[in-house]
Amino acid sequence: MTDLRTELEFAPLPGEIEAQQRAWRVVEAAYREREQLPRRRRSLRPVLAFAVAAAVAAAALSPPGRSVGGWIQDRVAGEPDAEPALVRLPAPGMLLVAAERGPWIIRSDGSKRYLGDYEDASFSPQGRFVVGTAGRRVTALEPDGDPRWSLARPGPVADARWAPSPGFRVAYREGDTLRVVAGDGTGDHLLARGVAPVAPAWLPREGRTVLAYARADGTVVAVDVDSGARLLRTPRARRVREVFWTHEGLVAVRTQRELRLHDRRGRLLRAPAAAVRRELVAAVPLPGAWIMYAEYDRRTNETQLVREACFGRGPCIAIGPSRFFRGAGRLRDLTLSPDRRWVVAGWPDADQLLFLRLPSVGKVVATEDVRREFDPGGSGGGAFPRLAGWCCARASG
Amino acid sequence: MAGDGRDERAWVRGAQAGSASDLEALFRAHWARAYRAAYLVVHDAAGAEDVAQEAFLAAVRALDRFDGRRPFGPWLHRIVVNRAIDWARARALRREVLAEAAVSAVPAPDDPPDAAAPSAGILEALASLSPEHRAVIVLRYFLEHTPGEIARMLELPRGTVNSRLRRGLDALADVVEQDGEG
Repeated sequence: MTDLRTELEFAPLPGEIEAQQRAWRVVEAAYREREQLPRRRRSLRPVLAFAVAAAVAAAALSPPGRSVGGWIQDRVAGEPDAEPALVRLPAPGMLLVAAERGPWIIRSDGSKRYLGDYEDASFSPQGRFVVGTAGRRVTALEPDGDPRWSLARPGPVADARWAPSPGFRVAYREGDTLRVVAGDGTGDHLLARGVAPVAPAWLPREGRTVLAYARADGTVVAVDVDSGARLLRTPRARRVREVFWTHEGLVAVRTQRELRLHDRRGRLLRAPAAAVRRELVAAVPLPGAWIMYAEYDRRTNETQLVREACFGRGPCIAIGPSRFFRGAGRLRDLTLSPDRRWVVAGWPDADQLLFLRLPSVGKVVATEDVRREFDPGGSGGGAFPRLAGWCCARASG
Repeated sequence: MAGDGRDERAWVRGAQAGSASDLEALFRAHWARAYRAAYLVVHDAAGAEDVAQEAFLAAVRALDRFDGRRPFGPWLHRIVVNRAIDWARARALRREVLAEAAVSAVPAPDDPPDAAAPSAGILEALASLSPEHRAVIVLRYFLEHTPGEIARMLELPRGTVNSRLRRGLDALADVVEQDGEG
């Protein structure tokens, strides 16, 4: 194939020289910025004024970046030391990011793979597959985006979630029904009707097939999918946004204003007084009895991260420092790393991802220009990507 | 063309120590191949510039952690080609969305053919392949990596790389032959 090699090597390409000149200006600016910004460690980050990193400003001058210049001017400043691109993850594993045009897998070395045109996605237990939904179709994908199996339904589907190891079940919503299919795409069947538009949550215990889901009436139910036994039903709550399990095996229900914890019988263990001006925008269970949540204050337009210990009896309590990070706008999608040492959060107002070192957010690693990162060739002005999982303990990245 | 191994290691060390001139030497040694590789996969000048530029930005940010004993080129090529595949996939999706929105009668601004792009011969034939097939062809026959190296770069089984190479070469041969006969 000498001819092929020669053709590939010497065929004239459009704009090669000009592109080199423009790119060098951007790269050089990023390099000088890297030298000028010493790393800082702070336990409580102040809200910052508007700013744009020099590298991003330089990038905005080049043709690929020019179109993003306008909206960059309007965003809030995030972490000042943010990386201009997601170069690597601070912990092993793979991060799943559901962007406007579909999900991406990011490995620990920063390499990315676009999986295709799916609206939502989540990992299988060991990260060997991703299950995605698009329109009326549920599809299991290899990590490089090749479909493994696909299932078509009459109605629109969403929120597919794979059961814990060995991963024999996948639950998903079709309209206001909840359905379950085997991990190989067979045996699709109805599990429940009258469910709320909230993702179901599997109890994260190996070999168990206990699923919690929110109903349209505001209750949350947990059932053993294989036996059909109902294990708990919670009292009603208003505006359920998220259901998850704590590491202690409690059911957590995040509503717009509160985080409600229920024991294995569904009894309410904790419902703090609703903070009138605060909105609970995200929550994540941490190792042990800890829970981290993000409170958004409309008066100040700030989000604060709070960590408390919730033991299942009595109110959750702060042990040691409990308020760690404060930033302008809203944070969302708190996601725990597989090694349980980091939490990542989306920060749409700053167009950044924040990686927060646990237990006390002693270190923050940020990456900026996130919309554009997950919209290659686009303007970068679309919806901010959603964090859909960080997997897996055994993944080397 | 990239400098020899000693030059390159010295440039990496120099850039890590804060020398912008060493970084520039590294950039100029690798830009042309990075841009060309990106173009051969995405077939779009702005896209290739975007992909190659982002790869170098990633390199700058990872410079402190880069092991200077390893060659810089393969590491950069991996980033370039993976980003190029993603870019091409995303563009294909955008076209589908545009088509569904019934605006496909007007070509998208970044749609090929690029007015100034080479239009004949092997490049046009390459454009008929999927981005994944183009990527293995570019890695093998332009950047001259072995199938094993390509498998590691793209995180694919080696058999998949070989089959994509075979299918890619078959498709290229067909198109080139038809061109020749026409």
